[in-house]
Parts: sequence; C-alpha cells; structure tokens
Amino acid sequence: MKIDLGKLKGIVGQDNIKNDIADLYVYGSDSSVHKAPASVVLRPTTIEQVQEIVRYANAELIPVIARGSGSGMSGQAVPIDGGIVLDLKKMNRIIEIRPADMFCKVEPGLVDDDLNRALKPYGLFYPPAPASSRVATIGGEIANNASGIRSVKYGATRDSVLGMKVVLANGDLINLGANTRVEASGYQLDRLMVGSEGTLGIIVEATMLLKPLPKFRCFARASFNTLKDAGEAISGIIASGALPSMLELMDNIAITAINTTLNIGLPDVEAIVMFEADGKVKEAVDAEMKFMKEICEKHNGSDIEMSYDLKERTKLYAGRKQLFAALSRYKEGLSCTSLADDMAVPYSKMAECAEKIHEIAKRNNVVMTAYGHCGSGCMHTKILMDPTKKEQWECAKRAVEEVYEYVRSVGGTTSAEHGIGLSKAPAWKKEKADSLKTLKAIKKALDPNNILNPHKMQDAPDDWVSATELRYPVE
Amino acid sequence: MQTKNLKDWKNELNICIRCAYCFEGCPVFKITGWETDSARGKIILAYGMLIGDIEPSQYIADKMFQCTYCRDCSERCSANVSVVDVLAAARADLVEAGFASDTHKGMAKNVKETGNIFGDKEIKAPVQQGEIPVYIGCQYLARPNQTKMYLKILEKLGVKPLIKDEACCGYPLYALGFRNEFEEHKKKFLETFPEEEIIALCPTCAAFLHEGYGKKVKHITQTILEHIPEKNLGLKATYHDPCDLSRVMNITEEPRELLKKLGIELVEMPRNRKTSHCCGGGGGILMSDVNLSDDIAILRIKQAIETGAPLLITPCPTCEQVLKKAAAVVNEKGNGTIQVKNLSDVVWKALRT
Repeated sequence: MKIDLGKLKGIVGQDNIKNDIADLYVYGSDSSVHKAPASVVLRPTTIEQVQEIVRYANAELIPVIARGSGSGMSGQAVPIDGGIVLDLKKMNRIIEIRPADMFCKVEPGLVDDDLNRALKPYGLFYPPAPASSRVATIGGEIANNASGIRSVKYGATRDSVLGMKVVLANGDLINLGANTRVEASGYQLDRLMVGSEGTLGIIVEATMLLKPLPKFRCFARASFNTLKDAGEAISGIIASGALPSMLELMDNIAITAINTTLNIGLPDVEAIVMFEADGKVKEAVDAEMKFMKEICEKHNGSDIEMSYDLKERTKLYAGRKQLFAALSRYKEGLSCTSLADDMAVPYSKMAECAEKIHEIAKRNNVVMTAYGHCGSGCMHTKILMDPTKKEQWECAKRAVEEVYEYVRSVGGTTSAEHGIGLSKAPAWKKEKADSLKTLKAIKKALDPNNILNPHKMQDAPDDWVSATELRYPVE
Repeated sequence: MQTKNLKDWKNELNICIRCAYCFEGCPVFKITGWETDSARGKIILAYGMLIGDIEPSQYIADKMFQCTYCRDCSERCSANVSVVDVLAAARADLVEAGFASDTHKGMAKNVKETGNIFGDKEIKAPVQQGEIPVYIGCQYLARPNQTKMYLKILEKLGVKPLIKDEACCGYPLYALGFRNEFEEHKKKFLETFPEEEIIALCPTCAAFLHEGYGKKVKHITQTILEHIPEKNLGLKATYHDPCDLSRVMNITEEPRELLKKLGIELVEMPRNRKTSHCCGGGGGILMSDVNLSDDIAILRIKQAIETGAPLLITPCPTCEQVLKKAAAVVNEKGNGTIQVKNLSDVVWKALRT
C-alpha cells in the first residue's frame, strides 16, 4: 500500500500525523484480543479535512478506520488491512446545546462524561451511560450503538440519535435525520449508521436527544443465593410493568473480582441484583422502589439496602463500573479477555443464560462470569484464562461458539451493546445468515471500493482467532 | 534488546485489559492527545518490546521517559495495574540498551560524584544533633532558606530534628532506569541513613523512603499538624496535592487539617486528593522535556485560578517551582492571577503572629 504522507500532512498539518512504528503499533490495538498495525495515524480537526482524507483514500484504495478512544472490545477499531487510522478525538467540540428543544449538536470525538458535565447546569443529561463513559466518545458510541446502565429506561444510543452529518466513502457530506424527535420520511439512514462500526461512513457531527435530570434517584442492592432466583427477580420486575432506571446483575465471579481488587466488601453471595428508580416526584420513586423490592423478596432476595443519598448510592454501586478491569485480578495467572463479552437474550432466559455460561465455562476449562444490564436484556461475560497458552485459546474458541449457539437457540442476539467487529463476527454471521446478502449489498452500495473499516462485521474472517495476530504471545 | 527488567512484569502486562480508563486523568495525554503518550500507549509499547513485536528506538525511549510518574493512571485502573513499575522496568531496559538521555546520564553522574542530583558540591545538609531523624532531600537542600524555615518550625514546635550529612535518596536513579547505579548508591545511602523512622520534608523522598526502602516515614505536614496550636491567618487558598503525597503516601487530609488549623479557608479544585492533577514536574520530564512540563503546570494553575482563591499552597518544592513558573506565564498573558507558596511559608507566618 503506497501512501502519500506529504499529501496527508498537507491536509491535517505536521502536528496531526504520526507514522513512527511505535505509534502505528499502539493504534493497531484496542480493548479486544486483536492487533494489526496502522499504516498512518491522522488527527483531523474539521469536516473538510475528513472529506479530503476520505476522497484521497477512496481514489487510492486505502482503508480508513475511524477511531474514538479505542475502547471497543471486539476489534472494531483494529486496522486489519492496515491503512489510515482516523483518530477523531480532536474533533470534540460541543457545537450547541438547545435546552428548549432537548437536543445538542456535538463533534464525534467528544467524551460522554464531558458532555454530561456540560449538560448538568442546564438540568439535562445524555442517558445511555456505558461503563466506559469516562473515555468513550459520542462518535464511537453511535458507531457501536452503545448502551449502559440506564438503557433499561432511556434506551440505547440509537434512541438518542436525532440526526448526524456523515462523510461517505466518496468524500461527500450528507445530513441525516432532523432536529426533531420524530421523522417519518423515507429510509432512516441515520439509524442505518448507528451500529455500522465505521463501515458505511464517518460520523462527523451528531444531534443527540437529551433528557431532564431526575430530581430523585433511589438505588438498591439485593443479595441472592442462586442465580436462578436473581434472574427470576429481574424478569419479574420487567414483566410487572415497573420502570427501573437501572437493573443490573452480577454473579459470584464478578463479586469476587471486585472484592479482590477494590476491597469494598460486597456480600459474598451467588448473585447481586442492583435496581434503581428515578423521577421528579419522590412518592412515585418510593412506590416504584417498594414494588421492585417486593418482587426481589418474593424471589428470595435478601439484605436489601436502599438509599437516595448520593454518597450511599455510590458506595452501594461501587465496583460495577470498574468490573471489566477488576476481572483480571480474579485469580493469579488468569487474564480477562474480551471474548463472548456481550449478548442479549429474552428476559425469561436471563437466569438460564447465566447458568449456561457457567456450565459452558466449566466444560471448556476456562472461567466465565455473568453480569450485565439485564433490565434491558443485556448479558455480559468475559473469558478469564491464561492467554499465553495455545490450548486455552482452543478452549475459549469452543466456549464462545457454545455460548452464542445457546443465545441463538433462545432467540437472542450476538451483541447487545459492544458491537461485532472481528471477534463476534463469526457468531453474528450465523445469526444473520439470511440477511448477509442484503448487508453486503448495503455496504457495496455505500462503499463500493471497500475502504471504510474493511473486513469487519459481515465481511470479517470466519475464524476470529486467526483474523489478526492475537495481542498476547501464544506458546 | 534484553528485557530482563520488563520480563518480571509480563503478568501485569497481561492483566491490563486496555480499557483506556487511564486516558481520563493522564496529564501527558491531556496535553498531547496522542494515545502513544497515554499510560495505555506506554503499556502497549512496553509489551511490544517484551514480546519482540517492536524494536527499541530513541523514539520509544523518548515516549517512555515522557511520563510524570504521577500515578493517576494506577489510581483510575480497576485492575490496579502498576503502570509506574512497568515503566520503571522498561526505562531500566532502555537505559541498559543505551537509550538514556544525556541529561539523565548527567544527573546519574551528579548523584555519584556529589551525592545530589544537581552536581553541586556546595549543597550540604545543615548537620545538627537532635532526637528525630529528618531527611531533607536534594530539592529542599538546594533551597536552604526553605529548609531552614522547616527546621525552625520544628524547633519552635518542640521537635528536635537530627540532621545527618545525607545523600540523595536514590529515587531519581531508580525512576530514570539507572538500576546498577541505584543498587550501588542504595548501599551508601543506607550506611548513612540506617534509621527506620524518619520525618521527610520532600513528598517524593517520603514516598520512596517508604516504598523503596520500607521505612516508617512521616511527612513533615503530619508532624507539624500534631504540634501546632490553632491560629487565625484569615487567608483563602486552594491546596495542591503532590502526587507522591496523595496517591503514594495516602496523605491528603493532614495538610488540609493543618491549613484549616491555621485559619485558612480552603477552596478545593475539582481534581483534588487522590484525583489531583499532576503539576508536571515529576518523573524526570522537568529535565528532559521542559515544554511538556510547563504545559501540564499551566493546566493545573488554570484549575487553581478557577477556584477564585488568590493563593495556592503546596508542600512539595518541585510542585511549587513549576506552578510558580506557570502562574507567572498565565498572569503575563492576562489569564488570571494566583500566588503560589510553599506550605512552610504560611506555617512560619502563622507561628510568627
């Protein structure tokens, strides 16, 4: 691949281009198990620069991989074929906040928490709240259709997108959506971009729906002696018509990892369910919490602690946001790998899914945890293993296959919020077998030269283990 | 390159899940914005060298030395990855491979030849008999008036400091990767300073005497707090936590209690205590990349100005030095004014009133 560095330097300027082997190596990985070096890293600061870069890349058939903070877990931002990594973190302005219209316009590199800090004085917030909100960029969240703890009430990123500006593969800039909550005209191209992982266009501006900050928030934590009881409490809460603003599950492996790393003394039980209600009227929040508490108790939930106080709530919730990394300290010699990290199953299958994950892990000689935003049907796991041992990867591969086979068998889906990228692509392609032709046709129509994040999702290799080099040295 | 130091950290490198949470507070990343300059970037480079994916180069060495060792990354890391230990090992391997900068080599030579980082034979501890061993450290020794002030404060409070003909604690050698030189120096240091219980003036020395030598160390702010009577200075100030004091020694409340006891109204910066923003003076970058150090300090001083307090107080001589410089730059550009003082100045003023 021949890249005219002088030309690219001319577009972004000397300070916004890197091509030392060290930079290419760093930008060749994310939070997944994959690695593949970039050919050059560019940091555009304007939409026009993005257009110029993409036009050049399209003419020269050079891959372009958009990147936020590179916190994705499935290899979405790994430049599998090399090419231009477009680091969008410098495009991080809040263009406008319109409280009366309940939306804001932002650049893609803006960090989620920074947006929420800016919104607070207006009494507003941007709700999806992924655990990585401290570093995740809005562009990355849209590209992966991220969600988080509050998605059970406020929806995923797609529910917050009103519109966006997108640079297409030929360099054209298009405006999608509108400044309105509803839009019923034609193909919903803005929705098509959500979750497209940079394969259809580069999001360069986004119009995001905001919500009023609730006046009251009450949080509770309940202990369960079996995963089955915890799972049934979750589906019971959802089926009851209650409207939690958070409904989370953590199994004992997750609890142990948090206690080992953060030493915060979570109850050593088989499962913890965390639930929260929020609103403008305290009596309404009280009623919602009482209702959910009773359902937990009905399913043998015990030691239920509850609080409106921010400090107390933070203490009760402590650990959940740090869980992903904490899992790496579960047991000496095991590392936390982002494999089978994300899925969704129907509510009634939550408990069964968690138990199935443990059963599959045991059968395949790896450790797997079960936790997630179960209120929105989302289940997470991770595979804890010695990543330097070849046989562990064989075990992991089998475990991943079995997990997603189960997920498909109950009508679930491969990704709830983390995206497909490389490592979940084989399972996703099986799930979407009858749509693959259509998906490829859409990609071909919008990106005929296949320059935008090529060989991801439906075009990813069938074997994730060999899709790229693994980032660990495997013996 | 031989990775004899890095290989001890292989497990730690596997434990990092590369979540990028360390981006949030990394002072170097905040300035440059390049992922290679973040803690995760450096961890990836260290791992790459360890497993033979990338060959060491001057560029990589420069990146590895472009860190203030503020430990904000480790504080935010849910897996408790000890980034500075990994970096120290990487630096040691790079130094052995011949990638030490001339400035850092000069500093190592200074310590060997004169016992202090400045290479100044005139810098001597004011040796005196006393009851409690007090370790002053190179930075304070180079500021004799401030050292005198601290010693007078102790005496006024009834503490009798024992001052020895001390040498550098050796932390700069360790942190900058001069492992052989450090081991040699360590023996000499322990010969002159075998005491197990020490009061330290400099936060960085305090942290290293505690972490590196396993000594029982009190920072001088703790000692002063124990003895000082209540005063009423009637000042308003913000307090800057030195990284080594807050994140390594876990000493965040005592300096605040002390300042309140002196009648100082404290206004906190949003980033305080364990999440305090680094001043930019640590990890050797003051020697090797002064522009980067200045930029970080300016970021911090702007945070201090935003509190509306007219005064910033810190007990660290390096923080004081770089923040004073930053305050002057910001002031000159018309972007606000704040005075920077060492904690000793306000304590001494209180004791004289």
